[in-house]
Amino acid sequence: MWLPILGLILGVSLGFLSDIQIPQEYGNYLSIAVLAALDTLLGGIRAHLQRVYDDQVFITGFFFNILLAAGLAFLGVHLGVDLYLAAIFAFGVRLFQNLAVIRRVLLTKWSEYRKVSTTNTSK
Amino acid sequence: MRRKWMFTFILLIVGFMVAVQYNTVQQPEERDTRDLWAIRNELAKERKLHSELLTEVRELDTTIGKYNASEGASAGKALADTVHDLREQAGIIDQTGPGLVIDVVPSEESIAFGTPLHEVSPELLTRFVNEVNRFKGIDMEIDGKRVTGLSAIRDINGETTVNGLAVSLPPFQIKILSADLESSEKLYNFLQSSSILDDFYLDDFVLEVGQPQSEVTINGRIEQFENHFLKELPKGG
Repeated sequence: MWLPILGLILGVSLGFLSDIQIPQEYGNYLSIAVLAALDTLLGGIRAHLQRVYDDQVFITGFFFNILLAAGLAFLGVHLGVDLYLAAIFAFGVRLFQNLAVIRRVLLTKWSEYRKVSTTNTSK
Repeated sequence: MRRKWMFTFILLIVGFMVAVQYNTVQQPEERDTRDLWAIRNELAKERKLHSELLTEVRELDTTIGKYNASEGASAGKALADTVHDLREQAGIIDQTGPGLVIDVVPSEESIAFGTPLHEVSPELLTRFVNEVNRFKGIDMEIDGKRVTGLSAIRDINGETTVNGLAVSLPPFQIKILSADLESSEKLYNFLQSSSILDDFYLDDFVLEVGQPQSEVTINGRIEQFENHFLKELPKGG
């Protein structure tokens, strides 16, 4: 539990300390990549909770989603269609869905845990 | 265990990306992209302002000196002088000084073609006033109507007006007073090369800019100023 959070903190501090700034025109791509990454991350957590997690699916999904989203945005810029909106929409919707599933799984787990603890104490 | 490391790795990347994105968004909104010449220009502008302010300070110092020197009997006169100066600045009284007389006349082509004579549009007049106002310390009169900072040049019921008074059809005169003959000369040269002449020509008018004269008289503003902000103190208060 703590290791991933440590990883997050390390990543954020690395980003801030290195003070890297990307040109404004590529800002769109990065924001979409961040969204894709978050989506994959939440998907991974959901899969983990539902016990269907697979390493390869997770890793490939992560990089593939990022590349696809950025590629879509790139294509959109060159075609004059705001395709990145499609990616934002898709990822946004999935993000919320994943969050909802995670919440439900956690809720179920919690209520089960409470049931168990109450029966234990009543015994 | 491997899963944990995987998540750690992915979260590290996500955190890094978020931080970079944050950095990018927080970039200063406007970068200073001025080059040496732009900065020099700016500096020149500030210097000019500086010198103008110094001139103003000197004038005010002179006034103070006058007040101090004229204690007692001539204090009233010093006050009257100041009031006179202020009236002059506000354009209420007639003024005489070195300046230019510009005749606005219909162009020869428009007369030859028989184009109906029309008024000078308010836009064109405003443009002219703006153009001339690049020069500091000038006083202007358009067709006998004094132009001050409060003057409005606009269209009232189809008539071009200055201060609410209709400007007559060309030909009419525009008089411009400047601080000294040298400034008048500068203004004359500036107007000769200015594109405002072409703007007038497009509207079938010709600006005949006269040579600088040492004595030109312009009228004061006829109507009184409305003053909403200053109130007179009760006498002896």
